[in-house]
Amino acid sequence: MRTVGFSTTPNLVLRLPMWRSRLMLFLLFFVFMLLLLRAFWIQGPGNAFYEAKGVRGTQRELELPASRGKILDRNGQVIATSLEAKSVIAYNDTVPDDLAADKVKRLASLLQISETELRKKLKEDRKQLFLKRQVDPVIAQQIKQLEIPGIGLNSEYRRFYPEGEAMAHVVGFTNVNDKGQEGMELSRDKDLAAYPGQRRVVIDRLGRVVEEIAIEQLPQNGKDLQLSIDSKIQYLAYNAVKSAVEQHHAKAGGAVVLDTQTGEILALANYPSYNPNDRRNLSGEQLRNRVLTDTFEPGSTIKPLTISIALEKGSVTPNTNMAIGAKYLVGPKPITDTHPYTNLTVTEVIQKSSNIGTAKIAMNNLSAEEMWDFYTAVGLGQTPKIGFPGAVAGTVHPFKKWMPTDQARIAFGYGISASLFQVARAYTIFARDGELVPLTIERSPEYKSGTRVLSAKTAIEMRKMMEAVTEPGGTAIKAQAEGYRVGGKTGTAHKLVGKGYGNSYRAYFAGIAPISAPRIVVAVMIDEPTGGSHYGGDVAAPVFSTIVGETLRALNVAPDSQHSQLTLNEQSSKAVSTASLQTQHVVLKR
Amino acid sequence: MNRATLTLLALLLICALSLVAAQQRARRLFIAYERAQIEERKLNQEWLRLEYEQRNLSKSARIRDVARNQLRMVSITPERTLYLKDSQ
Repeated sequence: MRTVGFSTTPNLVLRLPMWRSRLMLFLLFFVFMLLLLRAFWIQGPGNAFYEAKGVRGTQRELELPASRGKILDRNGQVIATSLEAKSVIAYNDTVPDDLAADKVKRLASLLQISETELRKKLKEDRKQLFLKRQVDPVIAQQIKQLEIPGIGLNSEYRRFYPEGEAMAHVVGFTNVNDKGQEGMELSRDKDLAAYPGQRRVVIDRLGRVVEEIAIEQLPQNGKDLQLSIDSKIQYLAYNAVKSAVEQHHAKAGGAVVLDTQTGEILALANYPSYNPNDRRNLSGEQLRNRVLTDTFEPGSTIKPLTISIALEKGSVTPNTNMAIGAKYLVGPKPITDTHPYTNLTVTEVIQKSSNIGTAKIAMNNLSAEEMWDFYTAVGLGQTPKIGFPGAVAGTVHPFKKWMPTDQARIAFGYGISASLFQVARAYTIFARDGELVPLTIERSPEYKSGTRVLSAKTAIEMRKMMEAVTEPGGTAIKAQAEGYRVGGKTGTAHKLVGKGYGNSYRAYFAGIAPISAPRIVVAVMIDEPTGGSHYGGDVAAPVFSTIVGETLRALNVAPDSQHSQLTLNEQSSKAVSTASLQTQHVVLKR
Repeated sequence: MNRATLTLLALLLICALSLVAAQQRARRLFIAYERAQIEERKLNQEWLRLEYEQRNLSKSARIRDVARNQLRMVSITPERTLYLKDSQ
């Protein structure tokens, strides 16, 4: 047996081979090298990740707010503006359970919800919820003053339309994302839109901004847009149309007022309308901008255009006498008048709105091409270029396709279609001594020169004939406006139902005022008047009269009719001072 | 260490301290500027709100209503109007 001495234990004998220590040394060196490399990598080329982490703790991207441009009327009155609207938030954990009953009642009434509904919402098992979004600033202030713990306000932007229904079709509206949806809000969305900016800042540990590193994107507020619309005239036009629609139990109505000197659209009213501030339960009927998007057979409102071609050619004069008769046969169906006449002068053809007279003038003196050329020259059959969404062109079929029966009927406004806006624009030629004025919906108050389509002589003759329409013996005595000489033309068109004409009508009146120095063109349309008369002279002409009278007074245009009135000059200033005590208004005449 | 080194060291210290002071001041000014900007925005909003309120009070529908019903005014008619001719 081998003895094992303590001092001679073989385990204690160091007999390590040299390569093992070398290997160890190398491995240690290698690992240290790896660590070094890693350290180098983190410090140098590969540090983006850690840098980003560091930045995230101390830097923030903040949005720089920008607001959508305002829309103003011609006098600088706001008709659309963006305001910071508050949303009411409830933090249900914080709202006390034993909230005073009167405070709940008050809050519920401010939010326009029932008390039980509010209590139910406050009991909901949610950390936070919107009680109401985009509340009125005044109401938000009142809610804040209630000082209920756990009821907070959050900032948002909301679009406000102070003129409401009267201006709805012109201005349109935006959606919750501040994008234009209708009207000018849609067509000029690019200019009105706001582009928020962005900046990078350093924050401290409490989240306060302590330094700005860079503005990465400058905020860009939307540009303000000034329209040619006059809120006052717009409102009175809207009101006049609205009350006529209600009075005659009509389906709808529209009116347009143009400034003949500057080509600006002063008013563009439609009824039924909607409140752009509250767009729940909107129907397509309410949204339709009938003045621009509805085309109709313009009926008798076309007669002045047709007859002025014959006047311009010299084929007829206002006093040319012609035989009318009870029927005029062109094609299979005879043309008739409401009242039969044996003889009429050309002026009387306009004054009494004779279909036979107009058709005879057209068939005897005009070619289809001449008529087509003239209608096209005054803008019928072409989309009006006023930058308004949905404006339509109407139809004037190519003259080569016209049969004689077509030509005769087109002469008095059947078989072609146009919007009320196009008719109003065409009438500017009579107001401007033969020039067709370019129209605009943006404010540009300087005089515009137009395109000549008629001689001044013909235009003035036609104005006189149109004035006769509103005088005794004419079809629209109700168009007379107190104090002003007016002229115009009625229209009553059978509405097309399917392929034929039904029993419903559209009543129109388009005219000019004051006749001695035309300043405005007004066109009115009432759709499907029921109960009583459906004639343009009875339904639309009174609306024209109201709009013309009030608009001209609003524009400070002096009366030109032989009305009982006083006109004083500089010398009689003494008389003025005494007289002005008795009279209520003194208007300067320029 | 000679005198020149000491002077430079002192200068360095002064510079370093003033840098700290300057940075502190810059931050303060920046915070004040930030506050002013927030205030500006608030005032801007307030102005827009007041403009809207004024517009709401002066809109045609309200004026018509107040004039007709509260003040009992009537529309002008040419008979009761005196027209003056401008001297030019």
